[in-house]
Parts: sequence; structure tokens; C-alpha cells
Amino acid sequence: MIDFQLLTDSIPYLLRGAAVTLQIATLSCILGILFGTLCGLGLTSKNRLVRFLLSIYTTLFRGTPMLIQIVFVTIALPTLGIGFSRFWGVVWAIALNSGAYIAHIIKSGINSVSQGQREAGKTLGLSNTQIVRYIILPQAIRVVLPALGNEFITLIKDSSLASIVGVQELTKEGEILSSRTLDALTIYLGVALGYLIITTALSLLLSLIERRMNQHAQH
Amino acid sequence: MLNIKNLSKQFGTRKVIDNVSFSVPQGGIAVLLGASGVGKSTLLRVLNNLETIDSGTIYLNGKPLDLTAASKEHTCGMVFQQFNLFPHMTVLENITFPLEKSAGKSSNQAQHIALELLKRYDLADKKDTYPSQLSGGQKQRLALARTIALRPQIICFDEPTSALDPLLTTHVANTIQELANAGYIVLIATHDTALLNTLRCSIYLMENGKIVETAQSDKLSENATQYPLIAKFISGVIE
Repeated sequence: MIDFQLLTDSIPYLLRGAAVTLQIATLSCILGILFGTLCGLGLTSKNRLVRFLLSIYTTLFRGTPMLIQIVFVTIALPTLGIGFSRFWGVVWAIALNSGAYIAHIIKSGINSVSQGQREAGKTLGLSNTQIVRYIILPQAIRVVLPALGNEFITLIKDSSLASIVGVQELTKEGEILSSRTLDALTIYLGVALGYLIITTALSLLLSLIERRMNQHAQH
Repeated sequence: MLNIKNLSKQFGTRKVIDNVSFSVPQGGIAVLLGASGVGKSTLLRVLNNLETIDSGTIYLNGKPLDLTAASKEHTCGMVFQQFNLFPHMTVLENITFPLEKSAGKSSNQAQHIALELLKRYDLADKKDTYPSQLSGGQKQRLALARTIALRPQIICFDEPTSALDPLLTTHVANTIQELANAGYIVLIATHDTALLNTLRCSIYLMENGKIVETAQSDKLSENATQYPLIAKFISGVIE
């Protein structure tokens, strides 16, 4: 049976874990967007070497499990003298993984913007950087916002893998509480509710942004 | 005066512009007439640095025109067939954005220029709306205002009537004629012969990348038999 008293008593611990989860998710998300956008632009570049190198990165990170990537960055890399704290190791691993997916999302968004937009920018004397920054990316992001939203929600759930390497985020807090109280049902229900609240809040925020951006979507 | 001399452009083995030469005086209108795929739009794209040329020279007022520099200095402007307005910007921003980012105007200067143009083209009440909320004719006027705002010497229109209600043809022709009267050099790529009824222009009929016949619009209306190929094109007989 669910022990509601235990659930209530666990809230401060779960909140502490949720705060770490949010930190990991936010930092990974920011870095992931940065990598993903730069790589997405690179994947649409005319330079074949750039496209080739970036496709190696995205193939590597999309083709191997995130758990292995987290273990590799936090446990294997330090044996080569490349050290991060466990927290930052997890953040980098998730960011690089997410960036590989975001790169392809951004690439599809860029390809969806008509060539005429780029040409209009060029005839108006805008530089390539200005065209990408002010004309192509705002339109591309509007197109791919639902896909990006899904990626961010997946990223929050994937952050639970950080518990494997001992980072005390929401899942790890649950694991500790569960072994201490021996009531896995109640504790993991609390953990699941924690993730559900975070992802639902994010979904609502994203649909609000999407609605605002799509107000004037048609050409 | 715009002088185009021996211009050629090839896509693979296909010559899309084949040794084309013509000139347009200040305040003149050149209509490149022809069916789809004869190279008339490519010629406008070359002038706007959207395509490179294989050979030939373009002179503006007697000096060779560096197309890359001309593109940055807004020597030439283009009103596209599909207008290519920026859908995520308001009507006002579509004009102020290139003025600020490309022509280096301050926000106040850009607003001033844009509002004047919107007033001139009867779009002042639409300034805060988005291109998706405009009619075809309004979109074209906005595209023209956006081009004129940068004060080009040459304005190119690619199929200016194809995306519009046929009833608007005379209105578009009048607007283009006004631009020429104001001193702009105007080039039009079109297959719509209805435009020729209103414009005072030089007509260049193109086939397979070449200019095959040339006429002045007033001479053509006086004696069309002197220009058999253009007359044939106008009557809708294309060989």
C-alpha cells in the first residue's frame, strides 16, 4: 500500500533531488542547444569536410547508449587524465548526446526554410551571418519547436541516468530513500510524480511558446 | 545607363544566357519577354548577384559593375515573383530590418523611411500586421517598398504579375512606369504581354537564352507586323 505519510515526509529530499535534476537538465539543454544549433548549421554547410566530421559526431552519439556515454565521460575519461566532477561529466555527456539529436532537428528546420528567403536577404545586402541569424534560424526554430520540445522532455527523463554514477539527483534520492525506508512503491511513486510535474510544466511552457510563435506562421 | 555586353551563362551543358547584349537608359524600362526557361529570370538573378556569369561585362554609367560589391551597396534591387517577404517580421519590420542591418540606418531613420514608403504604397494601416495577413497586391507593394527603401539604381521585377489577380496588371504597370519616371532603371522578366499595353519600354524577346527580336513599345503598337516574333508571342503562338 502507498504510505502517504512517508510520501509527504520524503518531499524535502525529493525536492532536493529534483533541484539537481533541473540543474543537470537546464545546463545540458543550454549546451545541447548550442552544440546542436552550431552542428545543425554545419550539417547544411557547403564544406564537405565539415559535414563529414559532424556526421561522425552525430553518428557516434546517436548510435551508442547514453548510459555508456555517461560512464565513459565520468569514469573512463578520468583514467586518461581528463577529469570532470561527476556532475559536470553527466552534464557534458547529456549535452553532447542531446546536441547530436538537436543538430539533425535544426538541419531539417533550416532545410524547410525556402531558398527565396536567403535570396531576399542577399539582394537586400545582408551578410550570410545576418541572413542565418535573423532570417533562417527564427523561421527554422518555429518549424522544429515541437520536435525540440520532445527532445527537451526526453533530456529531463534521461538525466535520471546520472544516478548510475552517483550524482544525487531525483532518481538517486529516491534510491537512497527506498533503501532506507524499504518502501519502494511509495518512494518511486514520489520520484515518478516529480518527473511528471517537471515534464508537464515544460510541455505547457513549450506549447505556450509554440502558440505565440505560430500566430503569424503562414507566408 | 545600364549596358550589358555579351553576357553568357551556362548550367552544365545548357546555355541559359547566350551572348546577350542590351542597354537601358536612366529612367528606362527593359522588358525581357519570353516563355518559361528562356533565361530571362536568370539574367535578373545575375544582376542581383544570385548567379555568377561565365563571360560578359555589365557597365553602369560607363563603369564596369562589380556584382558582388553592387549587391552590398544596394545598386540593384529585386522584387521576386513570390515576393519573399520575411514572414516572421511585421510589415514595418520587413522594411526597417534591412535598412538598419544592411544600410546602417538608425532605428529612427529606418522607421521614418519605412513609414513614408508605407504611406506612399497605401500600407500605412498595415504596418503592425504580418505578411500572411496581406493580399497579393499588398505583398507586392511591400516587396517593392522594401526594395526602394535601399535606394537602388536598378530595380528588377521577376514575373511581377504572375502571382496576382489579372485585374491588377494595369495597376502594377502604372506603378512600374512611375518608378521609371522617377529615374530608376527598371528591368522586368515576364511572359505577361498585358503589361506591354501600359508600359513605355524596350521589349527584348528571348528564346533559348538569346535575344531574338527587339522592339520599342510605341513602335510595336503602331506597326506590329514589323516585329513578327514578338507579335506572334503576343498573339499566343509559340513555335
